[in-house]
Amino acid sequence: MHIHELNPWRTLIAVSVFVVILAIGFLTMPNPLFKYEKSMDESIEALLDGEDYFYPWELVDVIANKPDSIVLFDIRDNFVFGQGHIPGAENLSANTLTDPDNLERLEALRDMGVTIVLYGENELQANGPWMFFRQVGFNNIKLLLGGYEYYKANEDDLYSTIDDDAYFSGFPRYNYAEMAAPKDGSELNADQDNKPVQVRRREKSSVAAGGC
Amino acid sequence: MNRNYILLTILMLVLAVGTLFLTSDDEPKQIDPEELLQEIIQPTRYVTTDQVAKMIIQGDPSLLMIDVRPADEYAEYALPGSVNIPLEELLNEGNMGYFGVPGVKVVFISNDDIRADQTWVLTKRLGVDGTYVMKGGLNCWMQTIIEPSQPDADAPSVDHKLYAFRKGAQIYFTGAEAATPEGDNVEVQVRRREKSNVAAGGC
Repeated sequence: MHIHELNPWRTLIAVSVFVVILAIGFLTMPNPLFKYEKSMDESIEALLDGEDYFYPWELVDVIANKPDSIVLFDIRDNFVFGQGHIPGAENLSANTLTDPDNLERLEALRDMGVTIVLYGENELQANGPWMFFRQVGFNNIKLLLGGYEYYKANEDDLYSTIDDDAYFSGFPRYNYAEMAAPKDGSELNADQDNKPVQVRRREKSSVAAGGC
Repeated sequence: MNRNYILLTILMLVLAVGTLFLTSDDEPKQIDPEELLQEIIQPTRYVTTDQVAKMIIQGDPSLLMIDVRPADEYAEYALPGSVNIPLEELLNEGNMGYFGVPGVKVVFISNDDIRADQTWVLTKRLGVDGTYVMKGGLNCWMQTIIEPSQPDADAPSVDHKLYAFRKGAQIYFTGAEAATPEGDNVEVQVRRREKSNVAAGGC
């Protein structure tokens, strides 16, 4: 006679308790604040396409008409923001980005289909937060090219910057090879082509390196 | 009682099948988005062109420069000792092996610093530590190391020291002639109160 036959319900009870515990576990699993919506490959592709930027001359319309469809967020800290900012911009310091209130507002704006333009002191400062939000599914966030510095320098005549290319990043501003050419006339980096660079790579095997 | 065992067996089979779906994610290992954001808002990842120049000149073995510009631009000019991994090839087989070597500082270099910073964010998402971005990129390299501008005579002495270092670095990287000091035009070094410790000509 098997022990289970003493109470035929015993197995069923055990199974139900097991299932209930599993269910509670799944339900109370911490819900992460963010989830990656773009894979690594998609992120790289988006960067190479070079979309999702906001151009300085587009600010003319935003400043003059204050459209409901565009919100400017200044990610510099509050003190610097107080010293001067683009008219109509709101302050959203980088270190308060994850505050529940701010996050709620960003999500509300996304659901309303409002375009969010991030800017920092320069393009570099806002680049990280911008990339981050693009990767976690905020497809309405754009990055102001040139940042506040460029805006400030061209404040008086923003519209004419449509023909300017100084705010574009990623381009060489000099002819490097010519500028850095050795002054004695020999070819620069002449020995670089045939001498492979020695690089230490991470070893893949998990075997511990032999002792002494 | 057989019915109970059958029920149990079925439950176990269902759970076993369920585990198959848990491991179907073939994305590489990544850090939590929140952790990534915390890393992103720290400005500690930037190194200056002067620091990079110093490390190259001193032959620092822990320095690994990764040039993220397209291959043709890299072929035209690159910093001595740098390795080319264009952004589109970042995830290619074997390239991740450059990252995460203990004790190696990886410095990303591009024309300015945006593309390098983007690469930094992407590798950070993959959980790579010990990576840096050369602030200002090669454009800044040209302005500060290859053709440094001389500070005003009344600039703080740190600026003059920095300029002296840059002139030396210029000679190292281009083989430019050392300027001969003019004997009758010695400037009196006056120690002034330094207004700020920000060096001139930063990018």
